[in-house]
Amino acid sequence: NNSSQLSSLPLHILLYVNGVYYIFYFLATLAMIIYKSQVFSYPDDFLAPDLAVLFLMAILEVPRLYLGFKGNLTEAEVPLGLSLGLTVGSMLLCVYLLLWQSYVLWADVLLNAVLLAAYGLESGLKVTAIAAFVS
Amino acid sequence: EACSVPAAALVSLSAAVAKLCVCDLLVAQCDTNCCCDPDCSAEDFSLFTTCSIPVVIGDSQLCSQKAAVYSLDVEANPPERIFKLIDQVNPSIFCIHATNYEQALYLKSPEIPTAENFDELLDKFGGATFSAEPDSWNLDTDAQNPPEANETSRYEYGVPVQTEDAFLRLPSPVVSSWCSDANPAGFLVNQATKCIRSVSVEKCDSIQALSMLFYINSSILASVFQVNITVQSIVVQSVNGMRTLLSSSEVLRLPMVLDELCINAVLGVNYHITHTDTGEIIEAAAAFVLGAISREALSIEQSFEISFTQENTQPVPLSGNPGYVVGLPVRAGFQPQGYPSPAAFLFSSNKHSQLTILHSTSTQDCLAAQGARAPVLFGYNMISGCKLRITAAMKCQPLAQTLLDVLKGQSFPEYVASFGNSQAQDVLDWVPITQLHISEQMISHTLQSSCQIPVSLGIEVKWTKYGSLVNPQARIVNVTATITSTTLKQLPSGRERIIPITSSVVFTDISSPAEPSYKAWPTINIKLPFDFFYPFV
Repeated sequence: NNSSQLSSLPLHILLYVNGVYYIFYFLATLAMIIYKSQVFSYPDDFLAPDLAVLFLMAILEVPRLYLGFKGNLTEAEVPLGLSLGLTVGSMLLCVYLLLWQSYVLWADVLLNAVLLAAYGLESGLKVTAIAAFVS
Repeated sequence: EACSVPAAALVSLSAAVAKLCVCDLLVAQCDTNCCCDPDCSAEDFSLFTTCSIPVVIGDSQLCSQKAAVYSLDVEANPPERIFKLIDQVNPSIFCIHATNYEQALYLKSPEIPTAENFDELLDKFGGATFSAEPDSWNLDTDAQNPPEANETSRYEYGVPVQTEDAFLRLPSPVVSSWCSDANPAGFLVNQATKCIRSVSVEKCDSIQALSMLFYINSSILASVFQVNITVQSIVVQSVNGMRTLLSSSEVLRLPMVLDELCINAVLGVNYHITHTDTGEIIEAAAAFVLGAISREALSIEQSFEISFTQENTQPVPLSGNPGYVVGLPVRAGFQPQGYPSPAAFLFSSNKHSQLTILHSTSTQDCLAAQGARAPVLFGYNMISGCKLRITAAMKCQPLAQTLLDVLKGQSFPEYVASFGNSQAQDVLDWVPITQLHISEQMISHTLQSSCQIPVSLGIEVKWTKYGSLVNPQARIVNVTATITSTTLKQLPSGRERIIPITSSVVFTDISSPAEPSYKAWPTINIKLPFDFFYPFV
C-alpha cells in the first residue's frame, strides 16, 4: 500500500540519470569548445561568454540535483521548489548553448536537445510531486 | 578542384554561389573550358573538353550548403553544359550547424581608417618602421633588463655590442637620409654609414649628437669588467675643408658657439674595437672629426664607421680567397725602386693608392673635382666623367698635365694583383698594367703645332675563370689602360668650348671553355704472356 508514500520514483530515477548524463555532457561540450578554438577563428571575447555559461551551468547543477533528491526523499516542497527554480535557470543556459553559441555544431545540437528534454520532463515531474506534497 | 566562397548569410548564398565564376577572366569573351562563364553560348560549350571548375561551394564545414555543379554532357550531340544548384550535406557530426559570430568563416579584413581610429593607426603604423617586437631596442633604461655577466662575456657575430645604457650606437639612415640613433653596432660587423642630421647654431650645445660625450659616454660591457671608450685622435676640420690632426687628444672638446659658428661639432666618428679570439672585447677607441657649423647650415652630414680587429694581428683586407669576389676592390701596387731584383711590392690599404677612377661630382667640372676618386670594384663596369671648359687663355701643356692627373689620379699603380689574396712577396702573382696611348689626329691641322690633351681613360681588365669546374675562381690576367688624346684647336679669344672627359672600367671574361679532363689517359695494357711463343723461343 503505497498511498502514504508521496515521493516520486520516476523523478528519482530521472534525477539520477540526469546526473550521469550531465557529467558526459559537460566533458563533451568542453572538449568541443577546445576543438572549435583550435580549428576555427575563436577570438577571446567570444570564447569567454561561452565558457562562462558552461561553467555556470555546471556549478548550478550540483545544488539543483542535491535539492531535488533531498526534497523528493523527505517529501518537502521547499527544497523541491528551489530545485525547480534552478532547473528553469539551467534550461535557459542550455537554450543559450543551443542557439547563441559562437559556433553551434551538429553534435552540440544533439546534446543540448537531449538535455533540454530531460530538464523539461524533470520539471513536469517536480511540479506533480510538489502538488502531491502540498495537498 | 573546387572553389570556395566565404559563407555569406544563408539567404543570399545560393545567389552568390550561382554567380561566382573564378575562371571568367576575359571580359565579354568566352574563356575556354570555363563552364560557369556567362559570356559563353551553347556553341562555345560544345567545343569544350572538360569543366575547369566543376563545383562552386560555400565553406565545406557547414552542415548543409548550396553548391553549384557544372558538368559537360559529352554523350549528347552536340555536347552541352549542365548546371545544377544542389544542397550539399556534410555528414560529419562536427559540421557547423549555425554561427553567431559574423566573421566566423571570413578572413580578417584590415581596419579602415576613420576619424576615430586614425590617431591610433598612425601611432602604430605611421613611423618609418614597425615590427611585431618594437620593444627590443627601446632606449628606456628602466624597461631594459640588464643582462647577466656570463651572457656579455662572449659576443657572437652580429650580436649588438652592449653598453651600460642599451647598446653601442652607430647612427645611420633608416628609410630616408636622416640619422636614426637606434641602430646598434653588431659585433664583428664592419660598417660605415653616412647620414644627415638637422642642426641649428643656436641650439648647438644642446643637441646631444653633436657632442663628443654622446659617443664615448657609456662604457661597453664585456666579460667581468667594463671597457671604456678612449679617444684615439681628434681631427679638426675647418670651414674650408682643411683637416688638422690635434696633437693632444686628451682634452674633451664640447660644442660651443663662437663668432656665429658652432665649433667642435662632431662630423664623424670612427670606432675601433679590439677583441680576443674568443670573442671578448678588450679595448675600444674612437677617432673623431670635429668641425664647425655656420649659421646658414640647416643640416650637416655625419659619417660613422666601426671596425673590429683581433688583438695582436695586423689585418689586411683581401679581395677574395683566392679568386676575386665581385664587388671587392681590385688590389694594386707599385714596384719599389730596387728593381730588377725581385723585391716585394708595395701595396697599402690606403684608398688613394688603389686602382681608382674619377668619381663624377655634382658640379661636373673637371678642374674643380678636388680629386674625388672611386675604387675600382671587381666585376663592376663603371663609367664616369666630367666636363672641361676650355678658354682661349689656357695653355696646352699645363692643361694636358692637369687632365692626366684628373683621369689617372695622384698615384696610378703599376701592378694589379692577379688573385684576391696575392701576397706582396709573390712577384709572379702580380700583373703589370699596360699603358696605351691613342691620339686622334686631325688631318687638316697636322701643320700646326699640335697640342694633344687626354680626353678619356679606358681601363680594360681581362679576367678568366681558374681552377675547378665546380668552384671557379676569378683571376685577373691582363690590365690595359688606354689614354685617348685629341688635338686642342686654338680658340679665338673670348670663345670657350666644353669638352667631355670620360673614364671607364670594363671587365671582360676571357675564360676559355672548360675541358673536363681525366686523371690520366686510360692505357691499354696488352702484354703477351712470356711463354706465348713457347716451342719457338
